[in-house]
Amino acid sequence: MIAAGAGHPRSQRSKEIRRHALIYLGLAPFLVLAVFPVFWMAITAIKQDSDLYLVGAAPFWFRLPPTWKNFDFLFNNTFYKDWIINTMAISFWVSAITILTSVPAGYALARLRLPFAENLGIGIFMTYLVPAIILFIPLARVVSTLDLQDSWWSLVVVYPTFTIPFCTWLLMGFFKTVPFEIEEAAMVDGCGQLGALCRVVLPVSGPGIITAIIFSFTLSMQDFLYSLAFVSISDQKPVPLGVATELIRGDIYFWGSLMAGALLVGVPVAIVYNLFLDKFISGITGAAIK
Amino acid sequence: MGVQTWWRTPTARRYLFGYTLLAPAVLYVSLLVGVPFAFSLYLSMSDASVGNPVARFVGLENFKAALENATFYTAVRNTLVFTVGAGILKGLLGTTLAFLLLQPFKGRKVVRALLVIPFTLPIAVSVLGWKWMFDSQFSVINWALSRLQLIGAYGSPDWPVWLGQPGLALFSVMFVNVWRGFPFSAIVLLAGLTSVPPEIIDAAKVDGTTFMQRFRLVIVPMIAPILFIGSAFDTVFTLSDLSIVYLLTNGGPDAATEILPTLAYNTGIRAGALGRGAAISLFLFPLLLPAMILLLRTLRRRQY
Repeated sequence: MIAAGAGHPRSQRSKEIRRHALIYLGLAPFLVLAVFPVFWMAITAIKQDSDLYLVGAAPFWFRLPPTWKNFDFLFNNTFYKDWIINTMAISFWVSAITILTSVPAGYALARLRLPFAENLGIGIFMTYLVPAIILFIPLARVVSTLDLQDSWWSLVVVYPTFTIPFCTWLLMGFFKTVPFEIEEAAMVDGCGQLGALCRVVLPVSGPGIITAIIFSFTLSMQDFLYSLAFVSISDQKPVPLGVATELIRGDIYFWGSLMAGALLVGVPVAIVYNLFLDKFISGITGAAIK
Repeated sequence: MGVQTWWRTPTARRYLFGYTLLAPAVLYVSLLVGVPFAFSLYLSMSDASVGNPVARFVGLENFKAALENATFYTAVRNTLVFTVGAGILKGLLGTTLAFLLLQPFKGRKVVRALLVIPFTLPIAVSVLGWKWMFDSQFSVINWALSRLQLIGAYGSPDWPVWLGQPGLALFSVMFVNVWRGFPFSAIVLLAGLTSVPPEIIDAAKVDGTTFMQRFRLVIVPMIAPILFIGSAFDTVFTLSDLSIVYLLTNGGPDAATEILPTLAYNTGIRAGALGRGAAISLFLFPLLLPAMILLLRTLRRRQY
């Protein structure tokens, strides 16, 4: 196609411009669909309350001056600070449990030529697909047996049920890409199997481990059902649950603060997830993304 | 080699080391996924409730009670309409978008990053945004439609109350699921399409095939495993997600958007009837099973 226009640089250029225009035209509705809700949430978060309920003039921009009042309300009149701390603490402990269990498991499945390794790996990964909606009722019993109901610690116990399967699978793929020779060399040098793992393999596994931590965090943030079912005390909630349940009083929605609280945590999570999305997709499909 | 000496061989020590490393993950997953799953079978056959720790075996009473409840059938029907309808829409939008993104153009990376926002935003967060956009009076969607003269002013009979009218409410919750899922479909498809080596396409072109022939005979068979995995994931997610319906309508108006997950939650946790709730959520299992079997078969055939 390009070769045909090679003799006429100008027509080739206008062809390129036309091609771009068509692609952008095709993408425009998708972009509006994807981005507008976020824009709408963001502008709602910094609008004055009375601006939200003005009828008539176009609502897409400020009709009254923007305000930080909604954020003030969030930090001074709600448990938002506690929710952020809870979310961070949950993520920390979930990541710790996930790394401590899925790094050794992923390594063993990928490298030690164990009998049934393939089936065990698939079996662990399949548990990622047993959805919360089937498990939340029996897990409610587990949580109350452990005396953790209404505490964010219940979520620390429960979230690894989906982060361990996913991260084990992810790390299994990662460890397969680390060359075998470095381990063999270490063992020739007199390290045992454990020594080779700790001193040679783990130091080059940083990227895989960081990816697993990121997913422990972002997958925990996607949960709603477990926190809804297990935590009902205001100051114990993680951010998504707190925002969705505590900023609504009866029929009154604090839209400005709702959007502020949702985006303040949602946007950073979306950005981090965005950067690691290809790893997520190739993790579950096994396809490399170009 | 005798049994006694076999335990001292390097192979045996490697196995022991390997299974020791595997043990924590396998134990965690068995104890908190496997055991609860078995426990939910038991609960579903008991009269366990939140306030009553001593449960009595009641056989299939809970399943029978569910089947005698009219709302249950509404929930099953809505779950199926929701999953199939949203699946078709995500497939159509995702395919169109994947082919657009397959073209080389300036700003492709930025466009892609913006397009996947719906999928990367935590679901409870974005559903709250949609709740505000579907507001019965101050909906920005209605404002735009009204300005375009497609609907009347607020209060007129054709002013849509997205979450308040039965048909529209089901459409709205489906739409939010589509909104969240279409980038995932597109990216999975894109991953599949870019994994087909260009040489194979070129070879097919040399053989004089049309675009549709190449798509049907070369591309689709090659990307099928990825498509299966992607759609299995999406189906499991859609079938089991409670947050969209719970936050937007909580099953209303008048059970018009009730799905199995909301019914299970409201029965099991809200009303405290753990046994009844477990039985309802187990009705999801036959719906989930085809997706899981498809995934298992695809994964096992894959080469590593």
